[in-house]
Amino acid sequence: MKPLPRFQYHAPTTVDEALLLLTTLDQAKLFTGGTDLVPLLREAACSPSHLVDLNKVAELNYIREDSGFICIGATATLTNVAVSLIASVAPALVDAVSRIGSPQIRNRATITGNLCNASPAADSAPPLLVHEAEVTIKSLDDTRIIPLDDLFAGPKLNSLEPDELVTEIRFPVPPQGAASSYKRIGRRKAFTLSVVSAAAYVEMNGGEVKEARLAFGSVAETPIRTPDVEVMLRGEILTDGLLVEAAEAVKCSVAPITDVRGTAEYRRDMCGVLLKRALSEAVERAR
Amino acid sequence: MEYDKILEILGRKEFLVVGKNVTRTDALDKVLGKARYTADYVPRGTVLLKVYRSTIPHGLIKRIELDEALKVPGVEGIYTGADVTGNNQIGYALPDQPFLNDVKVHYVGDPIALICARDEYALEAAFDRIHVEYEELPPVLDVDASLAEDAPKVHEGGNMAVTTRIRKGDAEKGFSEADVEVSDTYWSPYQDHMYIETEAAYAVPERDKVTVICNGQSPFLIREKVAHVMGWDLNKVRIIQALTGGGFGGKDDQGPLVAAYAAFAAHKLGKPVAHVWSRDESLCYSNKRFPARIKYRSSANRAGKVTGIEVDITLECGAYANRSPFWLWRQTAHAAGPYEVDNCSIDGRAVYTTKVYGGSFRGFGDLALHYAAESQMDKLAYELGMDPIDFRLRNVLVEGGRTTCDQVLDHSVGIKECLEAVRDASDWASHRQPVWNGSKVRGYGVGLAYHGISTSRSTPDWSGASLIMNQDGSVTYRTGIVEIGQGSPFGHAKIVAEIIGVDPANIRIELPDTDSTLNAKPTHGSRGLMMGGTAAAKAALKLRENMVACASELFELASERIDLAEGRAFDKENPETSISIRELAEEMYARGYDPAAYGFFRAPERFFDPATGLGVNYSVYTFAATVAEVEVDTETGETTLLRVWPAMDCGKAIDPMMVEGQIEGAVSQGMGMVLMENMELKGGRVLNPGFKDYVVPSSVDTPQIEPVIIIEKPYRHAAFGAKGVGEPAIISVVPTITNAIYHATGLRFNELPVRPWTIHKALKEAKR
Repeated sequence: MKPLPRFQYHAPTTVDEALLLLTTLDQAKLFTGGTDLVPLLREAACSPSHLVDLNKVAELNYIREDSGFICIGATATLTNVAVSLIASVAPALVDAVSRIGSPQIRNRATITGNLCNASPAADSAPPLLVHEAEVTIKSLDDTRIIPLDDLFAGPKLNSLEPDELVTEIRFPVPPQGAASSYKRIGRRKAFTLSVVSAAAYVEMNGGEVKEARLAFGSVAETPIRTPDVEVMLRGEILTDGLLVEAAEAVKCSVAPITDVRGTAEYRRDMCGVLLKRALSEAVERAR
Repeated sequence: MEYDKILEILGRKEFLVVGKNVTRTDALDKVLGKARYTADYVPRGTVLLKVYRSTIPHGLIKRIELDEALKVPGVEGIYTGADVTGNNQIGYALPDQPFLNDVKVHYVGDPIALICARDEYALEAAFDRIHVEYEELPPVLDVDASLAEDAPKVHEGGNMAVTTRIRKGDAEKGFSEADVEVSDTYWSPYQDHMYIETEAAYAVPERDKVTVICNGQSPFLIREKVAHVMGWDLNKVRIIQALTGGGFGGKDDQGPLVAAYAAFAAHKLGKPVAHVWSRDESLCYSNKRFPARIKYRSSANRAGKVTGIEVDITLECGAYANRSPFWLWRQTAHAAGPYEVDNCSIDGRAVYTTKVYGGSFRGFGDLALHYAAESQMDKLAYELGMDPIDFRLRNVLVEGGRTTCDQVLDHSVGIKECLEAVRDASDWASHRQPVWNGSKVRGYGVGLAYHGISTSRSTPDWSGASLIMNQDGSVTYRTGIVEIGQGSPFGHAKIVAEIIGVDPANIRIELPDTDSTLNAKPTHGSRGLMMGGTAAAKAALKLRENMVACASELFELASERIDLAEGRAFDKENPETSISIRELAEEMYARGYDPAAYGFFRAPERFFDPATGLGVNYSVYTFAATVAEVEVDTETGETTLLRVWPAMDCGKAIDPMMVEGQIEGAVSQGMGMVLMENMELKGGRVLNPGFKDYVVPSSVDTPQIEPVIIIEKPYRHAAFGAKGVGEPAIISVVPTITNAIYHATGLRFNELPVRPWTIHKALKEAKR
């Protein structure tokens, strides 16, 4: 079996210490769950000289509500998320993380890692996009907060600078009448990458859709929102006719490819099907 | 001797352990992770071996440059075909496969050099520094390209490795007498075995001998190949087969090669060498299920009788013929399926391409064949407006019936009973209409299978086993049939236990070791229990005779009055007169009764004429029938296999739980073949060499498998009448699922796999 490339291992205990390592070390890579990084190392797709393990940084391990936001620390695992208060406020996210990998993977993998890996198929991305999540990024001399969308720079490419680290993902506590849903198609029922995925978020005012947001995975270079389709839904009563119209419209807003996991045509068509299913479930949940 | 009547010979009415569910003696170690597999035997610091392979699909080797690689610190040696002093030709059926290629490469992955180094870093560094200069030749990437008139020759003799042919009755006459006729072309692709344990060998050299601990499916074939490469006698090669983490046929072909790489390098180096494959090596370079294209024309009359079939099989060998002659003959010989068809015309050919070669895989050709044959039977039934089960019942083989090869089946034919059983268990008649629920629709399908057990045609077939009764009454059992997860050797132990009256837990099953184990031929062809178990029975009957004779002397009673059961020898008429096996064993040694026995069993001779394709092709056949319920989501094209009702005539279930285990695994592997698995190749290169994108079913995809219905039509030339189970279990699963998809959606899929986007596209086009 191919050996892992040689690297030096660092386990800082504070964010500042971690940032100092990132700033001073050459070719350093952050490590949380390792579920994406270790396979990459094994395939020699990346060969850092230093691994900076964040798991001993106690201040990064939390999920909490703070000033109207749900805040997820950088080392919170998928399992942590699945059993947290998030289930009641952002069900789409729990739908998504509960189906990533196996229990062993979910016990190690982190939300932050899933997002920073920037796979177009990242399951946690569409739910967090529709919940309008933000990303807190720190470097030694700066803290900035960006919309999640801006973290994705391309397939497997994030927008972080080498000396930066994501300390937190947060999204606003949704108002009354809001709900979300996540649907995906895989190649089997578990332990598999999404061929296509969709998240829907709604705020309902009686029968009227006050706010609608949609996001899709595996259908573009990054996980994407589809604002054109969202506009069609806002302020409307969600009839079967409108659902069909939106499902048709979304096919023009996505740009999938054909690969070993599915065809472009299939993915495009499935965006419509999953849009209907996710949106209907979100509306149902909002009742 | 009628081996199915052993119980009568023993003078017993009830079985002690045979036919009952007994927990396997290896089960606990395996679930606790304590069982040792090949890589577990390799000491730290052992020299490692990696095979350097061709990076192009087809070309002549002009130069192999090793200098830079040999300079890498830690590299111990690099060997090429030029270093092979024994034989560098290791083709299984035809002499077309070099051990190490030094003239020509035939696929991306053809072995060229063996690199030995002290650790993986040095191994990888050396790997990157080997340079091979090729004169590239045009690749041949599919069967049509291979059969084209101006096709580049993959091997000297041309692109056709072998042809087969059967003419029985008059097919054209059959078609002319028919009322309906259907024809279609079916494609069954590569499938990888995806065993949990990858290929591995650990070789320890002595001056003029080498010992290899390895995985595989036949320690004796491994020994033969290693000795052949070394140019040695068989007794200079010792193969110890460790417990093996899955075989499914793949290790029958790769085991000998992997062991030979390690043995050859270890001998050259004079040091132990370990060779353990990574998953991507296993996926890219080991033999796969042979792809096959089957053109199938069949007809039937209004009375519901099949009148004729015409079948044309094109098998894709890949780079080497390997087992393709055997595979193709099996498909040819089973072409009609488990039905009596008077008029058959079958032609087959196996052709080379410059891709990874095919080889043994559970079902051995019968999976693709039955996919075609059972799709055709379904189509004929629907054409006739008949129920698919009723139609099949009018055609199934019965005792006295004749197979595709015109072989008369005089006993052990239970397909009719299997089919009736699954029909009734699934309440088939109440499910003749597809059931809709929103976008989802459910349907029922049926599929049958028959599979000749063990070797085909006139190949001699035999097996051996040995038993030692130790002084303390414990028993040592040796068989060359290997444990690859299936449990055959434990089945043998149960057969022995039944005959000599000890608890199976007191029988220790030794790892096969060619220095001390009788040749049992390979663990393939679903023969492990049937052939190996019958040799075990012969050994046990001999040992029993000695045990009974000793007890008879002790008790001063006629031997007819002695029986052995529950760890004791006793007087049948007065069970109080008894002695423990432990004490009896001591007495056997003291009184000079032979405490060891071997059994060597040869199967009845068969006659098969390769010129006509007619004759007794297999000693016996196992029969299987399955019904399945599927649900297709017509919006997403996703198919869920919901329920399966399996039935099998396996002669006699030595252990029903193990039969169930085989069938449950087969349902999963068969479902994977239909719904998920695919080797994606581009220009002869595998694009998905790992579990991430070569998707196999997981436990949560497993359907509800209803209790296995076991039909017992004993086979008279096997211990207690048992026939093989492993392969027949998977064959019917494939067409059952595709037939159920048809029932649900009205769509036929003649190419595997049938993945969501395929169904979605077909449904979309059907609506247009």
